[in-house]
Amino acid sequence: MSNVISAKNLTLAYDNGRKEIIKNASFNIKKGDFVFITGPSGSGKSTLLKSLYGQLKPKEGNLVVGGRDLANISSRQLQELRTHMGIIFQDYKLINEWTVAKNVVLPLMIAGYSLDVQETQAHRLLKHVKLSEHADKYPLELSGGEQQRVGVARALAKNPVVILADEPTGNLDDYSSNVIWDLMENACQQLETTVLVVTHKIPTIFSLPYRHFIIESKGVYEVH
Amino acid sequence: MKFIKNHLMFILPLMAILLGIEFYLVFDRTTDSYEKGLKEGYTMLVVTKKPVTLQKLKQLNPHIATLEAIKREQIVSEVAQGVSKQSKKEILAALPYFYNVGLDSYLGTSALEKIKKDLEKDSNIKRVETFGSSYSSAYRLFAFIKFLLKVFIGFMGIVSLFLIIKQMEIWKYAHRERMQVMEIFGAPLMLRAGVLFKVAIFDAFIATLLTSAVFLYVKFVWAAQSGIDLMMQKQDDLFKMTDMAILLGVALLLVIVAVYTVVFSSKGVQE
Repeated sequence: MSNVISAKNLTLAYDNGRKEIIKNASFNIKKGDFVFITGPSGSGKSTLLKSLYGQLKPKEGNLVVGGRDLANISSRQLQELRTHMGIIFQDYKLINEWTVAKNVVLPLMIAGYSLDVQETQAHRLLKHVKLSEHADKYPLELSGGEQQRVGVARALAKNPVVILADEPTGNLDDYSSNVIWDLMENACQQLETTVLVVTHKIPTIFSLPYRHFIIESKGVYEVH
Repeated sequence: MKFIKNHLMFILPLMAILLGIEFYLVFDRTTDSYEKGLKEGYTMLVVTKKPVTLQKLKQLNPHIATLEAIKREQIVSEVAQGVSKQSKKEILAALPYFYNVGLDSYLGTSALEKIKKDLEKDSNIKRVETFGSSYSSAYRLFAFIKFLLKVFIGFMGIVSLFLIIKQMEIWKYAHRERMQVMEIFGAPLMLRAGVLFKVAIFDAFIATLLTSAVFLYVKFVWAAQSGIDLMMQKQDDLFKMTDMAILLGVALLLVIVAVYTVVFSSKGVQE
């Protein structure tokens, strides 16, 4: 299996390179892998995830995602790369002025799909996350768990190569969390999507084989 | 209320620019004939010993464009009233030739002096009168007023453009989360800035309509009732439908420049 993500001697830093968060990290993630990244608060879990979707450029080393080296990527190439990613946030990051259906098809809208296709896909995706009856509602009319399901549906909209999730169940109760884990397991299993989840705690109900990385003292280590 | 305030903060500076432009257009149209009169109505007086041709004068100075002889008989009949026919004939024989000489363009007083010198080099030419001071002062006053108007409109335009860009930045801030989410999912700049374009173009139409309404009111209501002759005579020039197209074009251009300025000035999410 080919690597979807590959890091070699990766160093990430804020404050114009002065504040190093991750240093000399090397790891490979293959197509279809389900990866948990854990670590103490402030260890750099979210920073690593940000660098994977190009919000933070590596200070040193190589970080290749979907065949693109993020250390030397143009904004146009980054834009294109992001259209192959599904990103899920702890705070959902839905567009509150848009309906649930419109939020879900944002990646399709960006890719220039016709309104008919968008409508069909919105219906299919909302059915998949069991929110069909909420299609015309606005995000703020939904509970936190429902909003995160919208976020998952949006991440799945364009059958992404990789799903990056930052504490996707951080704000949810156990029931809602289990629903989200189910959806992400299904995506990985059925679509062979690579899934990377940053979380402070690996869910106990998780049934799929997974890989586990810990970030500690600026290093990224795989737990076997 | 906040919605109206936000739009007014954009529409009012845009209207200030459009009002300035429309005011200049109206000023230009209504004073056009006056300016033409000042420019084209000007002639210098040339007195010669023998008749002269336009060709000859053009050889002396290329700025000379027209030549019109003043009827000598008319001069004699005006200055020699009650004089015998014979005496009139003698006066006519002794009288030099008078010409009104027009120029090809508006020239400054130094250029007029040069023309005068060039002409006076010819021994046939007895005298050249440029009437330089009155010509210059009238036209210069007009040109100065026009220049001041341009400066004022230009200054107002710059200040208003800054206000428009400032308001655009506020809108961008208000929509920053939406734009960030779209950016993270790979939306191109035009799609991300779509919301700003929509609002700005809508306001450009509103500002154009309001500005046109002001001038239509001036044209059909105020000017008609003003009792000012110039206003009543030039009522048609106060607003033309083509002005609306010009104003809309300018308004759209300004808002597009403002959106691009604001959107391109941000670095995006890349750190």
